[in-house]
Amino acid sequence: MEQIIEQFPVVLKALNIGFLQTLKLFFVTLIGAFPLGLVIAFGSMSRFKPLSVATKLIVWVIRGTPLMIQLLIIYYFPGLVLHHPIWGGGETGRFLAASVSFILNYACYFSEIYRGGIQGVPVGQKEAGLVLGMTKTQIFYHVTLLQMIKRIVPPMSNEIITLVKDTSLARIIALQEVIWAGQAFMKGSQGISGAIWPLFFTAVYYLIFNGILTVLLGRLEKKLDYFK
Amino acid sequence: MPILEVEHIQKYFDRTEVLKDISFSLEKGQVLSIIGSSGSGKTTLLRCLNFLERPDKGIIRVKGETLFDAGDPATQQEAEIRKKRLHFGLVFQSFHLFPQYTALGNVMLAKELLAKGQPGYDARKKQAHKEIEEQAKELLQQMGLSDRMENYPHQLSGGQCQRVAIARALALQPDILCFDEPTSALDPELTGEVLKVMRELAEQNTTMVIVTHEMAFARDVASQVIFMDDGHILEQGDPRQVFENPKEERTRQFLSRFTQG
Ligand SMILES: Nc1ncnc2c1ncn2[C@@H]1O[C@H](COP(=O)(O)OP(=O)(O)O)[C@@H](O)[C@H]1O
Ligand SMILES: [Mg+2]
Repeated sequence: MEQIIEQFPVVLKALNIGFLQTLKLFFVTLIGAFPLGLVIAFGSMSRFKPLSVATKLIVWVIRGTPLMIQLLIIYYFPGLVLHHPIWGGGETGRFLAASVSFILNYACYFSEIYRGGIQGVPVGQKEAGLVLGMTKTQIFYHVTLLQMIKRIVPPMSNEIITLVKDTSLARIIALQEVIWAGQAFMKGSQGISGAIWPLFFTAVYYLIFNGILTVLLGRLEKKLDYFK
Repeated sequence: MPILEVEHIQKYFDRTEVLKDISFSLEKGQVLSIIGSSGSGKTTLLRCLNFLERPDKGIIRVKGETLFDAGDPATQQEAEIRKKRLHFGLVFQSFHLFPQYTALGNVMLAKELLAKGQPGYDARKKQAHKEIEEQAKELLQQMGLSDRMENYPHQLSGGQCQRVAIARALALQPDILCFDEPTSALDPELTGEVLKVMRELAEQNTTMVIVTHEMAFARDVASQVIFMDDGHILEQGDPRQVFENPKEERTRQFLSRFTQG
């Protein structure tokens, strides 16, 4: 116990740095996957058959395989198989590869959520707008958009919470996120070795961050509760 | 001159002919009731009038102006169709109110969006908004919904929702107001309040085309009745004649289902 108190400041500092990397990956993934997911959703709903089939195939493959494998392939494939490393070395390269993998993976999940939200709004809503002389743009902004958002928020919240935990998978390509930082104290780092508690302690970071997200997303959901 | 003339409308879905040479006309201030069994094409006809479906043949004229002619592409331009729709209003069987707007908001939305597109709107924005709100409140009052204006659709009964939908359609002052089985989605005890406001509209000489299974209502209110069967107009005329003295055996059969039990 005494030892832990002694180690605490050093460990906390290292974990904070690791968690910063976790957060970076989390936000970069969201910023990339929100719009890309929408593009994929429109692709899969396209009336141009080749486009919709190709998009659905990609979504099926990405959703049907573990993110961990996608990470490994995207990180190692260019260098080891094509002999043409594209990610560059070091932490920057790993972060870039992880970001691309996460954005692609999450965009596919988001696309399905968008699709459900868009197709979930009854056609009657659009027709009611048309009959009232509204333009298609007016109908989108004033009638259907908010109804889509209301349908999208709950499943999107689930994915966002999952993403927080999924960022730990980037550890597989040695991205120095919070779990990597915790594990370092087992192997030995900054004069501390054989300590397992820092690794366990990383769970606290996830819990606190997910707690905050749950409250915020819950509030958003509640805000949209005024209509059904 | 009739306010509405429909000539030789034909409509196919894939290869099925759903409307077969439909022609009729309607005078201003009159009520046309369309009756007929399910699948006979009544909804499709109303959707054609409101340009939600495009007839494959035929002409639709309002106040002498040709709004649609299947043989003349010039009458089918998208931007024009939006304006032409405003001659008609449509009340749906299942209301299709906008859930995120209050009753008042539902009635005001389209009119406000329309006003925004007009020149000089910005200068008199406040004034315009007020006028539209006044008019919407008056309509809701007329529908007996004075105390429901700030409620959202999910807080209203079916009958109240349908009355909001009627007010919403009336807000744009259409020449012809169409109803597609406006009481079919309602609990029986709620149909009365909707039929009542429709009756009042008829008394104020609102031109209406009403698809309905409420035979007593159709007989009382209509100036003209059409019986549709398998995409045809099988019988057409004065309600007295159609209901009490149908010429066709099919009409007789159809009506007997409503008078028995
Ligand atoms: N969008 C559509 N695509 C294909 N067939 C349709 C469509 N809408 C209606 N129909 C068919 O057209 C016929 C007439 O339908 P409808 O106009 O809804 O009849 P009603 O309102 O009298 O019950 C029915 O056989 C129906 O199955
Ligand atoms: Mg119908």
